[in-house]
Amino acid sequence: MFQRLDLGHGIGLRNKHFARFQEERPPVSWVEVVTENFMADGGRPIAVLEKVRRDMPVVLHGVSLSIGSVDPLSGSYLADLKKLVARIEPAMVTDHLCWGTHRGQYVHDLLPLPYTEESLAHVASRVSAVQEFLGRRILLENPSSYVAFRESTMTEWEFLSALCRQSDCGILLDVNNVYVSARNLGFDPIAYLDGIDAGRVGQFHLAGHGDRGRYLLDTHDEAVPPAVWDLYREALKRFGRVPSLVEWDDHIPPLDEVVAQSRRAAEIEAEELAPALRRAS
Amino acid sequence: MTLAETQELFHRAITGPVPLDEAELDRCFGGTGELSAADRVEIYRNMYTARLVDALRETFPNLARFLGEERFGALGEAYLAEHPSEHHDVGRLGRRLADFLNAYPDPERADLADLAELEWTRNEVFFAPESRIVGAEALVAAGVENVAGVRLRIAPSLCVIGLAHDAAALWRSLAAGEEVLPPREGPAVAVWRRGFEVFHCTLPPEEAGALRAAMEGQPIDAICSAFAGRPDPATEAHAAISSWFAEGWIAGVVLPAA
Repeated sequence: MFQRLDLGHGIGLRNKHFARFQEERPPVSWVEVVTENFMADGGRPIAVLEKVRRDMPVVLHGVSLSIGSVDPLSGSYLADLKKLVARIEPAMVTDHLCWGTHRGQYVHDLLPLPYTEESLAHVASRVSAVQEFLGRRILLENPSSYVAFRESTMTEWEFLSALCRQSDCGILLDVNNVYVSARNLGFDPIAYLDGIDAGRVGQFHLAGHGDRGRYLLDTHDEAVPPAVWDLYREALKRFGRVPSLVEWDDHIPPLDEVVAQSRRAAEIEAEELAPALRRAS
Repeated sequence: MTLAETQELFHRAITGPVPLDEAELDRCFGGTGELSAADRVEIYRNMYTARLVDALRETFPNLARFLGEERFGALGEAYLAEHPSEHHDVGRLGRRLADFLNAYPDPERADLADLAELEWTRNEVFFAPESRIVGAEALVAAGVENVAGVRLRIAPSLCVIGLAHDAAALWRSLAAGEEVLPPREGPAVAVWRRGFEVFHCTLPPEEAGALRAAMEGQPIDAICSAFAGRPDPATEAHAAISSWFAEGWIAGVVLPAA
Protein backbone atom coordinates (compact mmCIF):
# COMPACT_ATOMS: atom_id res chain seq x y z
CA MET A 1 0.00 0.00 0.00
CA PHE A 2 1.34 3.43 -0.93
CA GLN A 3 2.67 5.38 2.05
CA ARG A 4 3.79 9.00 2.23
CA LEU A 5 7.31 9.69 3.54
CA ASP A 6 8.19 12.62 5.77
CA LEU A 7 11.23 14.14 4.06
CA GLY A 8 10.73 17.84 4.68
CA HIS A 9 11.69 20.41 2.08
CA GLY A 10 14.12 19.85 -0.77
CA ILE A 11 15.43 21.32 -3.99
CA GLY A 12 16.41 20.03 -7.41
CA LEU A 13 20.14 19.24 -7.65
CA ARG A 14 21.46 20.87 -10.81
CA ASN A 15 24.92 20.92 -12.46
CA LYS A 16 25.45 24.57 -11.62
CA HIS A 17 25.45 23.74 -7.90
CA PHE A 18 27.54 20.56 -8.03
CA ALA A 19 30.62 22.26 -6.55
CA ARG A 20 28.71 23.49 -3.48
CA PHE A 21 27.22 20.05 -2.90
CA GLN A 22 30.66 18.47 -3.24
CA GLU A 23 32.23 20.87 -0.75
CA GLU A 24 29.51 21.04 1.87
CA ARG A 25 26.08 19.88 2.93
CA PRO A 26 23.72 22.71 1.91
CA PRO A 27 20.82 23.37 4.30
CA VAL A 28 18.09 21.38 2.57
CA SER A 29 16.47 18.18 3.78
CA TRP A 30 16.70 16.29 0.49
CA VAL A 31 17.37 16.69 -3.21
CA GLU A 32 15.74 15.51 -6.38
CA VAL A 33 17.69 14.70 -9.54
CA VAL A 34 16.57 14.10 -13.11
CA THR A 35 17.07 10.35 -13.36
CA GLU A 36 18.29 10.22 -16.96
CA ASN A 37 21.17 12.62 -16.22
CA PHE A 38 22.71 10.09 -13.84
CA MET A 39 22.37 6.83 -15.72
CA ALA A 40 25.88 6.92 -17.23
CA ASP A 41 28.38 4.64 -15.55
CA GLY A 42 30.96 7.34 -14.91
CA GLY A 43 31.73 11.03 -14.96
CA ARG A 44 31.13 13.83 -12.54
CA PRO A 45 27.31 13.64 -12.22
CA ILE A 46 27.16 10.16 -10.70
CA ALA A 47 30.21 10.87 -8.49
CA VAL A 48 28.52 14.00 -7.14
CA LEU A 49 25.25 12.16 -6.63
CA GLU A 50 26.94 9.40 -4.61
CA LYS A 51 28.52 12.03 -2.35
CA VAL A 52 25.21 13.87 -1.93
CA ARG A 53 23.43 10.60 -1.20
CA ARG A 54 25.77 10.06 1.74
CA ASP A 55 24.61 13.46 3.07
CA MET A 56 20.85 13.33 2.54
CA PRO A 57 17.92 11.48 0.92
CA VAL A 58 17.72 11.60 -2.86
CA VAL A 59 14.63 11.31 -5.06
CA LEU A 60 14.98 10.04 -8.65
CA HIS A 61 12.67 11.99 -10.94
CA GLY A 62 12.43 10.57 -14.45
CA VAL A 63 11.35 12.23 -17.67
CA SER A 64 11.62 9.30 -20.12
CA LEU A 65 9.58 6.44 -18.69
CA SER A 66 6.80 7.37 -21.14
CA ILE A 67 4.24 5.53 -19.05
CA GLY A 68 1.34 6.53 -21.31
CA SER A 69 2.87 5.65 -24.67
CA VAL A 70 1.42 2.86 -26.78
CA ASP A 71 5.03 1.86 -27.48
CA PRO A 72 6.18 -1.09 -25.37
CA LEU A 73 7.95 -0.11 -22.15
CA SER A 74 11.67 0.20 -22.85
CA GLY A 75 13.51 -2.75 -21.34
CA SER A 76 16.86 -1.00 -21.55
CA TYR A 77 15.49 2.10 -19.83
CA LEU A 78 13.96 0.08 -17.04
CA ALA A 79 17.17 -1.92 -16.62
CA ASP A 80 19.20 1.32 -16.35
CA LEU A 81 16.65 2.71 -13.90
CA LYS A 82 16.77 -0.39 -11.74
CA LYS A 83 20.57 -0.28 -11.70
CA LEU A 84 20.55 3.37 -10.61
CA VAL A 85 17.92 2.66 -7.96
CA ALA A 86 20.15 -0.09 -6.55
CA ARG A 87 23.16 2.23 -6.59
CA ILE A 88 21.51 5.31 -5.02
CA GLU A 89 18.74 3.75 -2.90
CA PRO A 90 16.44 6.75 -3.46
CA ALA A 91 13.68 7.76 -1.09
CA MET A 92 11.25 7.89 -4.00
CA VAL A 93 11.15 7.04 -7.69
CA THR A 94 8.95 9.40 -9.67
CA ASP A 95 8.05 10.20 -13.27
CA HIS A 96 5.20 11.87 -15.14
CA LEU A 97 1.68 11.05 -16.20
CA CYS A 98 2.47 11.51 -19.85
CA TRP A 99 3.93 9.94 -22.96
CA GLY A 100 7.03 10.95 -24.91
CA THR A 101 7.90 8.11 -27.27
CA HIS A 102 6.40 7.02 -30.55
CA ARG A 103 7.60 4.07 -32.64
CA GLY A 104 10.88 4.14 -30.75
CA GLN A 105 11.45 7.87 -31.15
CA TYR A 106 11.78 10.14 -28.13
CA VAL A 107 10.38 13.67 -28.31
CA HIS A 108 11.85 14.49 -24.88
CA ASP A 109 8.67 16.22 -23.86
CA LEU A 110 5.91 15.37 -21.39
CA LEU A 111 2.92 15.01 -23.68
CA PRO A 112 -0.53 14.79 -22.11
CA LEU A 113 -2.94 11.89 -22.58
CA PRO A 114 -6.61 11.83 -23.42
CA TYR A 115 -8.31 10.90 -20.15
CA THR A 116 -10.40 7.93 -21.22
CA GLU A 117 -11.14 4.46 -19.89
CA GLU A 118 -8.82 3.07 -22.58
CA SER A 119 -5.93 5.31 -21.41
CA LEU A 120 -6.65 4.46 -17.79
CA ALA A 121 -6.49 0.71 -18.35
CA HIS A 122 -3.34 1.12 -20.45
CA VAL A 123 -1.47 3.32 -17.96
CA ALA A 124 -2.60 1.34 -14.91
CA SER A 125 -1.28 -1.92 -16.33
CA ARG A 126 2.05 -0.29 -17.19
CA VAL A 127 2.41 1.31 -13.75
CA SER A 128 1.81 -2.10 -12.21
CA ALA A 129 4.43 -3.65 -14.50
CA VAL A 130 7.00 -0.98 -13.65
CA GLN A 131 6.35 -1.28 -9.92
CA GLU A 132 6.67 -5.04 -10.10
CA PHE A 133 9.93 -4.76 -12.06
CA LEU A 134 11.42 -2.22 -9.63
CA GLY A 135 10.00 -3.90 -6.56
CA ARG A 136 8.68 -0.60 -5.21
CA ARG A 137 5.94 2.00 -5.60
CA ILE A 138 6.38 4.92 -7.98
CA LEU A 139 4.79 8.36 -7.96
CA LEU A 140 3.48 10.07 -11.08
CA GLU A 141 3.42 13.83 -11.59
CA ASN A 142 0.59 15.74 -13.22
CA PRO A 143 1.97 17.46 -16.34
CA SER A 144 1.59 21.05 -17.48
CA SER A 145 -0.81 20.97 -20.40
CA TYR A 146 -1.53 23.24 -23.34
CA VAL A 147 -4.06 20.99 -25.09
CA ALA A 148 -7.16 19.06 -24.11
CA PHE A 149 -8.53 16.10 -26.09
CA ARG A 150 -12.02 15.79 -27.47
CA GLU A 151 -11.97 12.10 -26.52
CA SER A 152 -11.46 12.75 -22.79
CA THR A 153 -14.32 11.49 -20.64
CA MET A 154 -12.91 12.42 -17.25
CA THR A 155 -10.84 15.19 -15.66
CA GLU A 156 -7.15 14.82 -14.96
CA TRP A 157 -7.80 14.60 -11.22
CA GLU A 158 -10.42 11.91 -11.73
CA PHE A 159 -7.98 10.03 -13.96
CA LEU A 160 -5.13 10.32 -11.43
CA SER A 161 -7.31 9.19 -8.56
CA ALA A 162 -8.60 6.18 -10.50
CA LEU A 163 -5.07 5.34 -11.60
CA CYS A 164 -3.87 5.33 -7.99
CA ARG A 165 -6.73 3.07 -6.95
CA GLN A 166 -6.04 0.61 -9.75
CA SER A 167 -2.25 0.46 -9.55
CA ASP A 168 -1.49 1.59 -5.98
CA CYS A 169 0.95 4.29 -7.08
CA GLY A 170 1.37 7.72 -5.51
CA ILE A 171 0.89 11.24 -6.82
CA LEU A 172 3.61 13.82 -7.17
CA LEU A 173 1.38 16.85 -7.17
CA ASP A 174 3.05 19.67 -9.06
CA VAL A 175 1.25 22.72 -7.74
CA ASN A 176 2.68 24.94 -10.46
CA ASN A 177 1.49 22.50 -13.14
CA VAL A 178 -2.02 22.52 -11.68
CA TYR A 179 -1.97 26.32 -11.87
CA VAL A 180 -0.52 26.43 -15.39
CA SER A 181 -2.90 23.80 -16.79
CA ALA A 182 -5.88 25.40 -15.06
CA ARG A 183 -5.11 28.73 -16.75
CA ASN A 184 -4.41 27.12 -20.13
CA LEU A 185 -7.36 24.75 -20.18
CA GLY A 186 -9.85 26.77 -18.17
CA PHE A 187 -10.57 24.55 -15.18
CA ASP A 188 -10.76 25.47 -11.48
CA PRO A 189 -7.48 24.59 -9.67
CA ILE A 190 -9.34 24.27 -6.36
CA ALA A 191 -11.66 21.68 -7.89
CA TYR A 192 -8.50 19.82 -8.96
CA LEU A 193 -7.16 19.77 -5.38
CA ASP A 194 -10.57 18.79 -4.00
CA GLY A 195 -10.73 15.88 -6.43
CA ILE A 196 -7.42 14.30 -5.42
CA ASP A 197 -7.27 11.51 -2.84
CA ALA A 198 -5.21 13.08 -0.02
CA GLY A 199 -3.67 9.77 1.01
CA ARG A 200 -2.07 9.36 -2.40
CA VAL A 201 -0.13 12.62 -2.48
CA GLY A 202 3.50 11.82 -1.69
CA GLN A 203 5.26 14.96 -2.85
CA PHE A 204 4.65 18.55 -3.97
CA HIS A 205 6.54 20.33 -6.71
CA LEU A 206 6.83 24.11 -6.68
CA ALA A 207 8.23 26.17 -9.54
CA GLY A 208 7.93 29.30 -11.61
CA HIS A 209 6.35 29.71 -15.02
CA GLY A 210 6.33 32.23 -17.84
CA ASP A 211 3.35 34.32 -18.92
CA ARG A 212 3.17 34.25 -22.73
CA GLY A 213 0.05 36.41 -22.89
CA ARG A 214 -2.44 33.95 -24.31
CA TYR A 215 -1.09 31.06 -22.22
CA LEU A 216 1.29 30.17 -19.37
CA LEU A 217 4.45 28.21 -20.16
CA ASP A 218 5.96 25.83 -17.60
CA THR A 219 9.49 27.23 -17.70
CA HIS A 220 10.99 26.60 -14.23
CA ASP A 221 13.13 29.66 -14.87
CA GLU A 222 12.11 31.98 -12.07
CA ALA A 223 11.03 32.10 -8.44
CA VAL A 224 7.74 30.56 -7.38
CA PRO A 225 5.12 33.27 -8.10
CA PRO A 226 2.57 34.43 -5.49
CA ALA A 227 -0.32 32.66 -7.22
CA VAL A 228 1.48 29.31 -6.94
CA TRP A 229 2.34 29.94 -3.28
CA ASP A 230 -1.35 30.65 -2.70
CA LEU A 231 -2.31 27.37 -4.35
CA TYR A 232 0.35 25.61 -2.25
CA ARG A 233 -1.44 26.90 0.86
CA GLU A 234 -4.66 25.40 -0.43
CA ALA A 235 -2.89 22.11 -1.08
CA LEU A 236 -1.44 22.07 2.45
CA LYS A 237 -4.93 22.60 3.91
CA ARG A 238 -6.17 19.54 2.06
CA PHE A 239 -3.19 17.19 2.11
CA GLY A 240 -1.30 18.17 5.28
CA ARG A 241 2.46 17.82 5.63
CA VAL A 242 3.85 16.60 2.32
CA PRO A 243 7.54 16.71 1.21
CA SER A 244 8.01 19.73 -1.05
CA LEU A 245 10.52 20.31 -3.81
CA VAL A 246 11.49 23.59 -5.45
CA GLU A 247 12.44 23.18 -9.11
CA TRP A 248 14.58 25.75 -10.89
CA ASP A 249 15.92 24.44 -14.20
CA ASP A 250 16.70 27.43 -16.40
CA HIS A 251 18.36 30.78 -15.64
CA ILE A 252 19.42 29.04 -12.45
CA PRO A 253 20.38 31.48 -9.68
CA PRO A 254 23.01 30.94 -6.95
CA LEU A 255 22.23 28.00 -4.69
CA ASP A 256 21.31 30.24 -1.73
CA GLU A 257 18.45 31.74 -3.71
CA VAL A 258 17.00 28.30 -4.47
CA VAL A 259 17.46 27.27 -0.84
CA ALA A 260 15.60 30.44 0.22
CA GLN A 261 12.63 29.29 -1.89
CA SER A 262 12.68 25.97 -0.08
CA ARG A 263 12.76 27.78 3.26
CA ARG A 264 9.77 29.82 2.13
CA ALA A 265 7.93 26.56 1.47
CA ALA A 266 8.75 25.41 5.00
CA GLU A 267 7.52 28.72 6.46
CA ILE A 268 4.26 28.53 4.56
CA GLU A 269 3.79 24.94 5.65
CA ALA A 270 4.31 26.00 9.28
CA GLU A 271 1.86 28.90 8.89
CA GLU A 272 -0.81 26.70 7.39
CA LEU A 273 -0.43 23.63 9.57
CA ALA A 274 0.67 24.98 12.97
CA PRO A 275 -2.76 26.16 14.15
CA ALA A 276 -4.28 22.80 13.39
CA LEU A 277 -1.43 21.06 15.21
CA ARG A 278 -1.93 23.28 18.27
CA ARG A 279 -5.64 22.57 18.25
CA ALA A 280 -4.90 18.87 18.06
CA SER A 281 -2.76 19.07 21.20
CA MET B 1 -10.18 7.99 -31.87
CA THR B 2 -8.10 5.36 -30.08
CA LEU B 3 -5.12 6.15 -27.87
CA ALA B 4 -2.78 4.84 -30.58
CA GLU B 5 -4.42 7.01 -33.24
CA THR B 6 -4.25 10.05 -30.97
CA GLN B 7 -0.54 9.56 -30.31
CA GLU B 8 0.17 8.97 -34.00
CA LEU B 9 -1.51 12.25 -34.88
CA PHE B 10 0.04 14.22 -32.02
CA HIS B 11 3.53 12.93 -32.85
CA ARG B 12 3.14 13.77 -36.52
CA ALA B 13 1.84 17.23 -35.62
CA ILE B 14 4.87 17.96 -33.45
CA THR B 15 7.70 16.37 -35.41
CA GLY B 16 6.48 16.42 -39.01
CA PRO B 17 8.10 18.66 -41.62
CA VAL B 18 5.11 21.03 -41.80
CA PRO B 19 2.22 21.84 -39.41
CA LEU B 20 -0.86 19.66 -39.89
CA ASP B 21 -4.09 20.88 -41.35
CA GLU B 22 -6.24 22.75 -38.80
CA ALA B 23 -9.31 20.64 -39.52
CA GLU B 24 -7.37 17.47 -38.76
CA LEU B 25 -6.16 18.92 -35.45
CA ASP B 26 -9.65 20.13 -34.54
CA ARG B 27 -10.94 16.56 -34.70
CA CYS B 28 -8.54 15.57 -31.91
CA PHE B 29 -7.85 18.66 -29.81
CA GLY B 30 -10.16 21.21 -28.26
CA GLY B 31 -9.54 24.88 -28.89
CA THR B 32 -10.86 28.15 -27.46
CA GLY B 33 -11.48 31.57 -28.91
CA GLU B 34 -8.14 32.72 -27.56
CA LEU B 35 -6.11 29.66 -28.59
CA SER B 36 -7.17 27.37 -31.41
CA ALA B 37 -6.25 23.69 -31.44
CA ALA B 38 -3.55 24.51 -33.99
CA ASP B 39 -2.13 27.29 -31.75
CA ARG B 40 -1.97 24.86 -28.86
CA VAL B 41 -0.24 22.13 -30.82
CA GLU B 42 2.19 24.73 -32.17
CA ILE B 43 3.39 25.33 -28.59
CA TYR B 44 4.53 21.69 -28.42
CA ARG B 45 5.94 21.82 -31.96
CA ASN B 46 8.10 24.85 -31.12
CA MET B 47 9.27 23.34 -27.84
CA TYR B 48 10.26 20.07 -29.56
CA THR B 49 12.68 21.76 -31.93
CA ALA B 50 14.00 24.28 -29.43
CA ARG B 51 14.64 21.68 -26.74
CA LEU B 52 16.50 19.26 -28.99
CA VAL B 53 18.57 21.92 -30.73
CA ASP B 54 19.51 23.18 -27.24
CA ALA B 55 20.60 19.66 -26.32
CA LEU B 56 22.83 19.53 -29.41
CA ARG B 57 24.24 22.95 -28.58
CA GLU B 58 25.23 21.68 -25.15
CA THR B 59 27.08 18.70 -26.63
CA PHE B 60 28.75 20.67 -29.44
CA PRO B 61 29.50 24.10 -27.91
CA ASN B 62 32.37 25.01 -30.22
CA LEU B 63 30.60 23.87 -33.36
CA ALA B 64 27.63 26.01 -32.25
CA ARG B 65 29.97 28.92 -31.55
CA PHE B 66 31.50 28.64 -35.00
CA LEU B 67 28.20 28.42 -36.87
CA GLY B 68 26.30 30.98 -34.82
CA GLU B 69 22.70 30.78 -33.58
CA GLU B 70 20.90 30.71 -36.93
CA ARG B 71 23.16 28.31 -38.86
CA PHE B 72 23.45 25.92 -35.93
CA GLY B 73 19.66 25.98 -35.51
CA ALA B 74 19.23 25.13 -39.20
CA LEU B 75 21.79 22.34 -38.91
CA GLY B 76 20.02 20.99 -35.84
CA GLU B 77 16.62 20.96 -37.56
CA ALA B 78 18.01 19.23 -40.65
CA TYR B 79 19.79 16.67 -38.48
CA LEU B 80 16.66 16.02 -36.39
CA ALA B 81 14.61 15.38 -39.52
CA GLU B 82 17.01 12.61 -40.48
CA HIS B 83 18.04 11.40 -37.02
CA PRO B 84 15.28 11.80 -34.43
CA SER B 85 16.17 10.84 -30.89
CA GLU B 86 16.17 7.10 -30.28
CA HIS B 87 17.53 7.10 -26.74
CA HIS B 88 16.00 8.05 -23.42
CA ASP B 89 19.01 10.26 -22.67
CA VAL B 90 18.72 13.43 -24.74
CA GLY B 91 22.49 13.76 -24.39
CA ARG B 92 22.84 10.84 -26.85
CA LEU B 93 21.01 12.76 -29.58
CA GLY B 94 24.17 13.99 -31.30
CA ARG B 95 25.92 10.68 -31.76
CA ARG B 96 25.47 10.76 -35.54
CA LEU B 97 26.09 14.48 -36.10
CA ALA B 98 29.67 13.95 -37.32
CA ASP B 99 28.43 11.35 -39.83
CA PHE B 100 25.68 13.75 -40.89
CA LEU B 101 28.23 16.51 -41.49
CA ASN B 102 30.36 14.09 -43.47
CA ALA B 103 27.35 13.21 -45.61
CA TYR B 104 26.38 16.87 -46.07
CA PRO B 105 29.68 18.73 -45.73
CA ASP B 106 29.78 22.47 -45.25
CA PRO B 107 30.99 23.87 -48.61
CA GLU B 108 33.44 26.23 -46.91
CA ARG B 109 34.60 24.19 -43.91
CA ALA B 110 35.22 20.53 -44.57
CA ASP B 111 36.61 20.21 -41.03
CA LEU B 112 33.29 20.72 -39.22
CA ALA B 113 32.57 16.98 -39.22
CA ASP B 114 35.93 16.44 -37.49
CA LEU B 115 35.13 19.15 -34.95
CA ALA B 116 31.81 17.40 -34.25
CA GLU B 117 33.64 14.07 -33.89
CA LEU B 118 36.06 15.60 -31.40
CA GLU B 119 33.30 17.22 -29.34
CA TRP B 120 31.24 14.03 -29.36
CA THR B 121 34.25 12.01 -28.19
CA ARG B 122 34.90 14.49 -25.39
CA ASN B 123 31.27 13.98 -24.35
CA GLU B 124 31.65 10.20 -24.43
CA VAL B 125 34.85 10.29 -22.41
CA PHE B 126 33.24 12.52 -19.78
CA PHE B 127 30.68 9.80 -19.03
CA ALA B 128 33.03 6.81 -19.42
CA PRO B 129 33.16 4.37 -16.49
CA GLU B 130 35.64 4.97 -13.71
CA SER B 131 38.67 2.72 -13.52
CA ARG B 132 41.76 2.47 -11.37
CA ILE B 133 44.98 3.55 -13.02
CA VAL B 134 48.49 2.23 -12.47
CA GLY B 135 51.89 3.89 -12.72
CA ALA B 136 55.00 2.80 -14.62
CA GLU B 137 56.14 0.87 -11.56
CA ALA B 138 53.55 -1.75 -12.53
CA LEU B 139 55.53 -2.41 -15.70
CA VAL B 140 58.81 -2.49 -13.80
CA ALA B 141 57.30 -4.98 -11.38
CA ALA B 142 56.54 -7.32 -14.28
CA GLY B 143 60.27 -8.03 -14.50
CA VAL B 144 62.71 -7.40 -17.34
CA GLU B 145 62.33 -10.94 -18.63
CA ASN B 146 58.57 -10.53 -19.06
CA VAL B 147 58.30 -6.98 -20.41
CA ALA B 148 58.22 -7.85 -24.12
CA GLY B 149 55.12 -10.00 -23.63
CA VAL B 150 53.27 -7.69 -21.27
CA ARG B 151 49.92 -6.29 -22.43
CA LEU B 152 48.58 -2.95 -21.24
CA ARG B 153 44.98 -2.57 -20.08
CA ILE B 154 43.90 0.84 -21.37
CA ALA B 155 41.62 2.99 -19.18
CA PRO B 156 38.04 3.13 -20.54
CA SER B 157 38.15 6.92 -20.35
CA LEU B 158 40.74 7.13 -23.15
CA CYS B 159 39.80 7.28 -26.84
CA VAL B 160 41.97 7.71 -29.90
CA ILE B 161 40.27 9.18 -32.95
CA GLY B 162 41.64 9.60 -36.45
CA LEU B 163 40.48 12.82 -38.08
CA ALA B 164 40.84 14.07 -41.63
CA HIS B 165 41.42 17.63 -40.44
CA ASP B 166 43.08 19.26 -37.48
CA ALA B 167 39.93 19.68 -35.41
CA ALA B 168 42.02 20.05 -32.26
CA ALA B 169 43.43 23.33 -33.57
CA LEU B 170 39.96 24.54 -34.61
CA TRP B 171 38.56 23.54 -31.20
CA ARG B 172 41.34 25.44 -29.43
CA SER B 173 40.82 28.61 -31.48
CA LEU B 174 37.07 28.59 -30.90
CA ALA B 175 37.36 27.86 -27.17
CA ALA B 176 39.88 30.70 -26.78
CA GLY B 177 37.92 33.11 -28.96
CA GLU B 178 40.87 33.39 -31.36
CA GLU B 179 40.95 33.75 -35.13
CA VAL B 180 40.02 30.53 -36.91
CA LEU B 181 42.52 29.36 -39.52
CA PRO B 182 41.57 27.56 -42.74
CA PRO B 183 41.11 23.77 -42.52
CA ARG B 184 44.30 21.72 -42.59
CA GLU B 185 45.13 18.04 -42.53
CA GLY B 186 44.93 16.57 -39.07
CA PRO B 187 46.78 14.11 -36.90
CA ALA B 188 45.15 11.51 -34.63
CA VAL B 189 43.82 12.85 -31.35
CA ALA B 190 43.79 11.26 -27.91
CA VAL B 191 40.83 12.23 -25.69
CA TRP B 192 40.86 11.29 -22.02
CA ARG B 193 39.50 12.16 -18.63
CA ARG B 194 41.46 12.81 -15.48
CA GLY B 195 39.25 13.25 -12.44
CA PHE B 196 36.24 15.13 -13.82
CA GLU B 197 38.12 17.04 -16.50
CA VAL B 198 38.35 16.00 -20.16
CA PHE B 199 41.55 16.66 -22.12
CA HIS B 200 42.66 16.03 -25.67
CA CYS B 201 45.96 16.24 -27.55
CA THR B 202 47.26 15.41 -30.99
CA LEU B 203 49.45 12.33 -31.42
CA PRO B 204 52.37 11.73 -33.79
CA PRO B 205 51.51 8.93 -36.23
CA GLU B 206 53.90 6.43 -34.62
CA GLU B 207 52.50 7.02 -31.15
CA ALA B 208 48.93 6.80 -32.43
CA GLY B 209 49.79 3.46 -34.04
CA ALA B 210 51.42 2.24 -30.85
CA LEU B 211 48.44 3.30 -28.75
CA ARG B 212 46.00 1.58 -31.09
CA ALA B 213 48.12 -1.58 -30.87
CA ALA B 214 47.95 -1.37 -27.08
CA MET B 215 44.17 -0.90 -27.24
CA GLU B 216 43.92 -4.03 -29.41
CA GLY B 217 45.70 -5.96 -26.64
CA GLN B 218 49.01 -6.47 -28.42
CA PRO B 219 52.12 -7.05 -26.28
CA ILE B 220 54.80 -4.44 -25.59
CA ASP B 221 57.15 -5.65 -28.31
CA ALA B 222 54.40 -5.20 -30.94
CA ILE B 223 53.52 -1.80 -29.47
CA CYS B 224 57.15 -0.71 -29.72
CA SER B 225 57.43 -1.85 -33.32
CA ALA B 226 55.25 1.13 -34.28
CA PHE B 227 58.35 3.29 -33.72
CA ALA B 228 60.57 1.13 -35.99
CA GLY B 229 60.89 3.86 -38.61
CA ARG B 230 62.16 6.48 -36.15
CA PRO B 231 65.84 7.36 -35.71
CA ASP B 232 65.93 6.07 -32.11
CA PRO B 233 62.97 3.68 -31.79
CA ALA B 234 63.75 2.37 -28.30
CA THR B 235 64.08 5.83 -26.74
CA GLU B 236 60.91 7.13 -28.42
CA ALA B 237 58.90 4.05 -27.48
CA HIS B 238 60.08 4.31 -23.89
CA ALA B 239 59.21 8.02 -23.74
CA ALA B 240 55.75 7.45 -25.23
CA ILE B 241 54.81 4.52 -23.01
CA SER B 242 56.13 6.30 -19.93
CA SER B 243 53.92 9.28 -20.76
CA TRP B 244 50.87 7.00 -21.06
CA PHE B 245 51.39 5.88 -17.48
CA ALA B 246 51.98 9.47 -16.35
CA GLU B 247 48.76 10.68 -18.00
CA GLY B 248 46.71 7.98 -16.31
CA TRP B 249 45.84 6.12 -19.50
CA ILE B 250 46.86 2.69 -18.22
CA ALA B 251 44.45 0.75 -16.02
CA GLY B 252 46.56 -2.38 -15.59
CA VAL B 253 49.46 -4.51 -16.71
CA VAL B 254 48.78 -8.08 -17.82
CA LEU B 255 51.68 -10.50 -17.56
CA PRO B 256 52.22 -13.03 -20.34
CA ALA B 257 50.81 -16.46 -19.61
CA ALA B 258 53.47 -18.75 -18.09
